[in-house]
Formats: sequence, structure tokens, C-alpha cells
Amino acid sequence: MLGIEECLTEVMAIPGALDAILIDQTSGMAVAIGGGSRQVDTEKSAAGLSEALRATLDGLAVTSPTGTVRIRDMIVTTDEGHHLLRPLETVFDGPLAIYVRLDLERANLALALHRLQLLSGRLITT
Amino acid sequence: MPSVESILCGLASDRATGALRLGRSGTFYLTEGRVTYAETPACPRVEELLTSSGRISAYAVRQARQAAGEECWGGDRLVQRGVLTRGELEFCVLGAVLDAVFFLFQVSGSRPRFRPEERHWLGPQWYFDVTGLLRESKRRRAQLDQAWPSPELDALPVVPIGRIPAQRVLLTSLQWEVLVGADCTATPADLARKLGRPAYSVLLAVRQLAAAGLLRTPEHDRESAPATPPAAPRPAPATPPAAPRPAPSPALPARRPDDVPAPLPRRGDGTREKIPSHDAGAPSPAAGWMPRTTGDPADVSLLIRLRNALEALT
Repeated sequence: MLGIEECLTEVMAIPGALDAILIDQTSGMAVAIGGGSRQVDTEKSAAGLSEALRATLDGLAVTSPTGTVRIRDMIVTTDEGHHLLRPLETVFDGPLAIYVRLDLERANLALALHRLQLLSGRLITT
Repeated sequence: MPSVESILCGLASDRATGALRLGRSGTFYLTEGRVTYAETPACPRVEELLTSSGRISAYAVRQARQAAGEECWGGDRLVQRGVLTRGELEFCVLGAVLDAVFFLFQVSGSRPRFRPEERHWLGPQWYFDVTGLLRESKRRRAQLDQAWPSPELDALPVVPIGRIPAQRVLLTSLQWEVLVGADCTATPADLARKLGRPAYSVLLAVRQLAAAGLLRTPEHDRESAPATPPAAPRPAPATPPAAPRPAPSPALPARRPDDVPAPLPRRGDGTREKIPSHDAGAPSPAAGWMPRTTGDPADVSLLIRLRNALEALT
């Protein structure tokens, strides 16, 4: 039985995790954060990330042969690290997304993806 | 009269616990200065979100509600019974509270009354800072205005237009639900309850659809009232079938002079005249005539009118 806070604690336990945010995509609000010392403004990151997810969905919908798109994971690797964004599909329309930033050197991307998948499965039982 | 915001901020700094009732417009529930629940008739409540998702029966929710008390809150009871996870309950409360608060901050005219120690049956599932809620509501209002700055569609029935002024549209899943759920009588608030979606999200989807030109707006109706002129030109494009109609009639006499002079010089050719008229001359007028009479329905109707006129003469 997993709550939001416990979930974020476990996300932060992923090897190489630097910080994590639970984002409400409705307006790009940071619902909860994991990892205490953030150099950047959480509110701004949440708004920016949700905008990035929205733009990606729009772009992929146009690109995909069927015209529909459903993102399971979004992975962006920058010079600073890996950024993982996973929309949560709840029966109660959030819609929410989990974001985690990973250290480029220490993190194992495949492991992180797998752990994030397991976690969101435990958070939501559908 | 102090605003809802200032009263809430005061209660927050007093670390108050209880319910702030805004008459019939709705209620904030506070636990030690933080908002733990809010509801308004304008939005689907947690009970409605839970049951309309199909996960929990209305009976189970009622049972949890009746059995709720200080020692075991209704929300915890639902989680213990395993009908939903702690995370899902938190999501549900989160969505419902943010939704209700957005509309409650716009309420004016009702006298707020605070009842200390009054609690909601769900119990505290998630704690919201009043300042955070104010900030979020402001952001949501800005987002709504950015999508489509006019509130004129907010309380009107959602009516999708029959034909869109585009070849292709891109929809979000919620916009799809709104279009499918729209029955031309349901307002955005009705649709939210019907779909079991937050009222704000549905409102935003409606404004986005309006901005994309997919919904009927009062402006449409104003336009379609003098749309008798636009309606009149429409029969005018229907008259192009009528416009070709006069065209063939000059064309018919025009062809005849064409055909008539053609045989005339041939006649001048003397003896050769018979051979071309039967071999090469005959197929050419036939090829010129046959498609004209059979291809265009305007010609057929012209012939029918001609026949009727001739019959009337006799």
C-alpha cells in the first residue's frame, strides 16, 4: 500500500536519483517533491516539464501513423543528466506525471525505468 | 465583508481546525491551519469521482461515510478494505480539492461562517497550504484565459459544430470525452459530473475546443441570425446548376449554326458531299450530340421542359 510521499521516497532511492517531482499536468503544479536540496525553482520546473510533455504529445500525435499517441516514458538525456518523465494513468483524472532527474555517471537508465514502472504499478492498481 | 482569501489566511495563521462554510456555495475543511478538503456543488465531489470511476460502489462509499469517526476516518477505512490504494485516494482527494478551491475562490456574496472542530468524513488525506492553493488558483485562471479569454461559454450547453472549418484536428483525451459526452443540453459543469472529471479540466477543455472553432458560440448564433444572407448565397451556389442551364441553351443554337455551315460548304463540294455526310460527317455530329444530352442533367431537364412546352402547344 503506497501513498504519494512513500512513492517519492522510493523514487529517490533509485540509484543515481538527484531529485523527483510529482506533477499535476492540469496546470503544471508540483504536487509533491522528493530530494531536499534543489537548486532550481520546483514550481517553475513542474510548469516547464508539463509543458514539455504536452508539446511532445502534440508533436508525436502528428508524427505517429495512427494519429494517436500514448506516452509511457519520456527520456531526455542532457549534458547534466537523464530526465525521466512518466505519466501516471489513474482512474481519477489528474492527470499526473512522475519526474526524476538522474546522475549521468552513477545512474543506470534501464534499472531506473524498471523501478519507476514497478513503483507506478504499486501506486495505482488498475 | 472580508474576502474568502483573507478569512482562510487568518484561519491558517491561527492553525484552526474546522469547516468554513460559504453558504450554499461550498465548504473548506481545515486541519490545524491547512486545507484538507473542499467541496462545492459546481464540482464533482470525491464521492462522485470514486463511484463514477467504477472502482467503488455508492453503497461502499456510504458505508465508509457512516462508519467514519475520529478513531478511523472514512478514507482510511476505504483503503483498509482494499478497494483502492492509498495513492489513488490521495490522487482523488488532490484532484477534487484543487478543483473545488478554484471555484470557491470566485464565490462572492455569501457570508462565510467558521464552525470549529467540524470535520469531513474522509479525514485528512492530503494537506494544502492556503498560499499554495491561492497561487494554484491564480495560475489556473490565467491558463483558462490563455486558452480562450471569454467566459461566455462557461455556463452554456456545450454544442459541437456539425462541420469544422479544417481538414484535421488534434484532440486530447479529455477533449474527446467532452465532445462525445456533449448532448447539446449539458453545460461544462454537467459534463464534468457525467464524465466523472474535474470541473476545471472540463472547463479548460471546453475553452480549448472553442478556441479551435469546434464549438457553437453565441457569436455563431448572432451570425446565423443574419445568416439569412449567408443562407441566401448558399442557394446561389446551388444555382450554378441553374447557371449552366442557360449556358447550354445558347450553346445549342450555337452548335446548330456550326453544324449547319459545315454541311453547307460540303454541299458546295458537289458529289463528294454524300460520302462525307454518311461516313465521316455523320459520326462527328453524333459524337458531338450524344454526350451533351446524356451527360448533363440540366440538358435532360431542358429537353423535358421543351417537350412539355411543345405538348402544351398542341
